[in-house]
Amino acid sequence: MTDASVGRGAIRPLGRVFRISPDGPPLGTVMTFLTPALLVYLVFTAYPVLRTFYNSVHILHPRAADEYVGMQHYVQMTTADPTFWVAVKNTMIWAGFAPLLDVGIGLILAICLYAKAPFARFFRIAWFTPVLISYVVVGILWMWIYNFDWGILNGALRAVGLESWTRAWLGEPDTALVAVMVTHTWKWAGFNMVVCLAALSALPKEVLEAAELDNCNWFGKAWFVMIPMIRPTLVNLLILSLIGKMKIFDLVWIMTQGGPLWATETVSTYVYKRAFQWQTFDLGYPSAIAVFWFFVVLVAVMALKYAFRQRDRLEY
Amino acid sequence: MKSAIRATALVAVTALTVMPAAKADTELSLWSHWADQGSKIEFIEAGIEKFEAAHPGVTVKPTWYQKNPLFAALKGALQAGQGPDVFYCEPAQTEYIDNGFLLPLDDHLEMSNIEGWAADTWRHEGNVYALPLEAYTVEIYFNTEMLEDLGFDLPEDGQLSAADFKKLVEAAAGEGITPIVQGAGDRPFPGAYLTHEVLLKKIGIDAYGDLLAGTKKWSDPDVMEALDYMESLIEAGAYPRSFATMKLGESHYYFYSNPGGLMLPMGSWYTSRAFNAPDQGGQPEGFPLGIMQAPALDESACPECKTANIGGSFCVNAESPNAELAAEFLNAYADPEMGNLWLQKVLVQTGIKSDASTVSGPHAGYFKMLEAADKNNTFFQGTPHAILKGQCLETFKQVINVAFPAGQVGAGQAAQMMDQACSAG
Repeated sequence: MTDASVGRGAIRPLGRVFRISPDGPPLGTVMTFLTPALLVYLVFTAYPVLRTFYNSVHILHPRAADEYVGMQHYVQMTTADPTFWVAVKNTMIWAGFAPLLDVGIGLILAICLYAKAPFARFFRIAWFTPVLISYVVVGILWMWIYNFDWGILNGALRAVGLESWTRAWLGEPDTALVAVMVTHTWKWAGFNMVVCLAALSALPKEVLEAAELDNCNWFGKAWFVMIPMIRPTLVNLLILSLIGKMKIFDLVWIMTQGGPLWATETVSTYVYKRAFQWQTFDLGYPSAIAVFWFFVVLVAVMALKYAFRQRDRLEY
Repeated sequence: MKSAIRATALVAVTALTVMPAAKADTELSLWSHWADQGSKIEFIEAGIEKFEAAHPGVTVKPTWYQKNPLFAALKGALQAGQGPDVFYCEPAQTEYIDNGFLLPLDDHLEMSNIEGWAADTWRHEGNVYALPLEAYTVEIYFNTEMLEDLGFDLPEDGQLSAADFKKLVEAAAGEGITPIVQGAGDRPFPGAYLTHEVLLKKIGIDAYGDLLAGTKKWSDPDVMEALDYMESLIEAGAYPRSFATMKLGESHYYFYSNPGGLMLPMGSWYTSRAFNAPDQGGQPEGFPLGIMQAPALDESACPECKTANIGGSFCVNAESPNAELAAEFLNAYADPEMGNLWLQKVLVQTGIKSDASTVSGPHAGYFKMLEAADKNNTFFQGTPHAILKGQCLETFKQVINVAFPAGQVGAGQAAQMMDQACSAG
């Protein structure tokens, strides 16, 4: 066998050393560096995912053989579980609106900083700080803000004579979801701001100066020049935000645990409840919800990528 | 060859040296709730000291949790075969028994030192699966001075009529006092206390058992009468506006400190928070505490009925290599002396046989008051959240515990939602 008869990339012996390609490092070296990472990936990512797929078509008995039930969990979930659909609805509302809020507010803040608004250095730190705070602290902080009796929000409303507007923001089904969404946006807008600011800072000065020469005002520059030019960044932020919202758990759990009356129940909180608070060791049903939702998130991300695909490449 | 002999000898010597030491240094692991309840921790640690003194070389290592993280940790650990030797458990957790995780304790505990009704709570198919340590009754604590200021006198039996109770709620609300300080923000049960007490009295023990077993409808006329009465209290402003988000600890503080309220329906484990030092969230010294009975509607089947339950218990992990020793450890608590110590330290009832007259100190008066309040009651064993399961339980938590008392759904809708969830199984 000659070297020419071996396809590029095939593993072949070169003397006593196996190499992936003729000029690449020896296979042993490659495996030495790859194996730890591969092991971590297999044990902590691949296996749990595959196991979840397996669980979703079984009833699990901790000290007995698993019972194969086929699509039973999926049928039950989609046809006989109203709470699941409430959780889906809430998650979709969240995933539909919150990414626009997160990225939109982040973009506006970034443009303010880029335009060198007064105290820009201070605001850059202040607006980014919530990103650094843990969900637990953010949750508790906003539960205080929303507290009916002594929260600052109701306090402010009372102070300006709007007593009738005061309410238990997290305790009423009409307002609880919005209240938690606002908290989440407050935490993440700063992250979007920083990424947008980095993208804006990387824009070529000549293009912006050309716009100025054409008598373009700040709004015009932002709307017609900057935003189109950082579009890939915005799309990626929207997709990241969407994925985050579809999996939202921490903040909801800390602030409302899905209540009141399932008004803030999300798919993730429902999975957790079914897995750990349903007085059963059977993880089959919650696994089925998790698998179903995995595909929903996958489809949503692909649809978003398709919808925002760049037809014309910007050149500058 | 020489080196092989040397190695074998070294292994043999090491084994002989290490093995007895390993046996003598057995460590039992204990995972328990009550991380923030000092008096209970003191009690458990007293039992550990007693056991360790009687078993040289054996130590017990407790890890203290809050309840929900403990239950989540246990689920994973037990399935993975990594569970502790002994752990906190509650009678509602029958899934532990169904899956064979608990060691039957009949042959390990001195059952004559355990109250029969308490053991029965943990009896499944003839076996007792836990040490029923904490027992409690559902009480209505109130501020005696506030009651007096509102112009109400409590009858000798401590029970206002349903009409008078409603007048009391209206009077308090009219004075800007929160009539029933309660929060259901972090627990699946306190919001339902008053509702299920009124319900229990109205329909009696058997029918109430049927209701919780799913063989009686929530839309039954007698059940609806109780729910309608509760709705009238809720509409009169019985509960605070912050009800749905107020946490258990906050409701205690609200009741006896700031801003203060008239009544706090609570398990008799009220004391484990209230009798802490005031700077640790306890009630102020000299707080005018009283206990009243829940109101009974006219023509109630059982006006003297009250809910009792076994709360915090301890189980032995059946898969533990130290299961027998762990059961022996629990038996250290199955002793009237320990029962008395529990009463003295925790001031809550216990499933261990004990003598309430041994309670002394600043809270002895409270315990006598509690005994008097329970003297003439007939008890239903078990709270709804300990009996209901699955979707029915979830709906109970969301509707009867939160949305109904918060005024978000009326009696009719609440009953309809419960029927829908509980009939679906």
